[in-house]
Amino acid sequence: MAKSAKQINPKDNVATLLADCASGEEVTVNMDGKVSNYACLEDTSYGHKIALVEIAKGEPIVKYGETIGSATKDIKVGEWVHIHNVRDDYLCLDKYGKPLPGQSL
Amino acid sequence: MEFYGYPRPDGKVGTRNYVALVPSTGCVNNLCSDLEHLVRGTKALRHDQGCLHPPRDTETVTQTLINLGLNPNVGGALVVALGCEMVKAEEIYEGIKASGKPVEMVVMHEIGGMINTMSTAMHMLVDLVSSVSHARREKADISKLVMGTKCGSSDTSSGLSANLVTGEVCRMLTEQGGRFIQGEICDIMGGEYALKKLAVNPEEGEKIVDYVRDLYMRGLAMGADTRGCQMTAGNVAGGLTTLVEKALGANAKGGQVPIQGALGYGQLVPDAPGRYIMDFPGHGFENLTASAAGGATVHLFTTGRGADTGHPIMPTVKICGNAKTNKTMAEHIDVDVSAVIDETETPDQAGERVLEYMLGIASGRLTKCEILGTESMEILIRGPVI
Repeated sequence: MAKSAKQINPKDNVATLLADCASGEEVTVNMDGKVSNYACLEDTSYGHKIALVEIAKGEPIVKYGETIGSATKDIKVGEWVHIHNVRDDYLCLDKYGKPLPGQSL
Repeated sequence: MEFYGYPRPDGKVGTRNYVALVPSTGCVNNLCSDLEHLVRGTKALRHDQGCLHPPRDTETVTQTLINLGLNPNVGGALVVALGCEMVKAEEIYEGIKASGKPVEMVVMHEIGGMINTMSTAMHMLVDLVSSVSHARREKADISKLVMGTKCGSSDTSSGLSANLVTGEVCRMLTEQGGRFIQGEICDIMGGEYALKKLAVNPEEGEKIVDYVRDLYMRGLAMGADTRGCQMTAGNVAGGLTTLVEKALGANAKGGQVPIQGALGYGQLVPDAPGRYIMDFPGHGFENLTASAAGGATVHLFTTGRGADTGHPIMPTVKICGNAKTNKTMAEHIDVDVSAVIDETETPDQAGERVLEYMLGIASGRLTKCEILGTESMEILIRGPVI
């Protein structure tokens, strides 16, 4: 049986692996009945994410239908998406949209 | 949907019927615990606060203890005081009494020592418990339920199953006129702008962002960037990449249910049905107390690795999506939702199952926390201990 990954929202460009996957292994994603297959590009662990589309450097990473960070490199379909190729862009902002003190990205 | 609960004089409905032992200071904790062991039907609300706080914290402790006494799961109360503490026992006594529930008070300095206070308190409790235990469960509509939510000892399975299932339970509960409380401002951090969009009133949405700013600034005063403190090595190893991702997984507990209001720590939840965000931390003891003080009569607690804590007066239902934890920590988990990860059950199917189970708990079935007595509480203090 092919291994699967969970895509939570149709807008998401990543899915979370539900089992450890080896490089080249096939992964199935079932989004509300629409089944798609992907090839895992490298060994990737359970709970980690793979890209469902090409994501260019600087583009948003989308999970739960929301932006969770941005790509720091071009990411290929099936590639592992984690801290080595994603930047956390979150800043705690004041009422005027200015970052509160003590933060850097 | 319906459950069987205890109707109270103020129109609320409890899921339990305790006589609460309310210490006005941690100094009398052991006295309260001794009374709890000696007198059936009582629950000691142990906490380590009550003295040498800045006024705002004294006020929080006082109001939290009053609101715990007002919780519909409490049928009557005995306020236990030392006599010299900053929190005024009379204020707690009067605050609970206003609800029409029977309340008594003992002050150790006035009676003179622990031994005589125990004796006086036990005589009072025998009458209190006899009177309170006369209450009978009656059929009540699900709209009378107020549910607390939280996640603890989370792992990857939490965001993929238990939290999504809780989101479905929250949707079904509020569609039927119920209310639920979500807080854990540390977990909301990073997801506050997504939550703000769900507020029915923009001013309430802005309060949620303010709670996050306040947490950030309090961390900064201690030299810590609370954004970084949120992401543990375990989170990253488990596959969480950014703080926003972690926050959105935690926020999933409330699903897409619109937010009716934002509340301060332990503040009473208004009567209007729906979702409320409360300014309470992730740490379990202070967190569960805030929901119980807000009026929650049942609590849905999602866990991945198996948190064991529940609140003394608020039955705390543990749901877990990690198949391994459901085996190794079985005696602490009430509902196994790992089928959502296997995709043999959808989150809404599991949600229906959890809601049914929760109504059973609300009607008297015991939680694993209640059976094993894994119950604790604390009250949040923000200022320095003087």
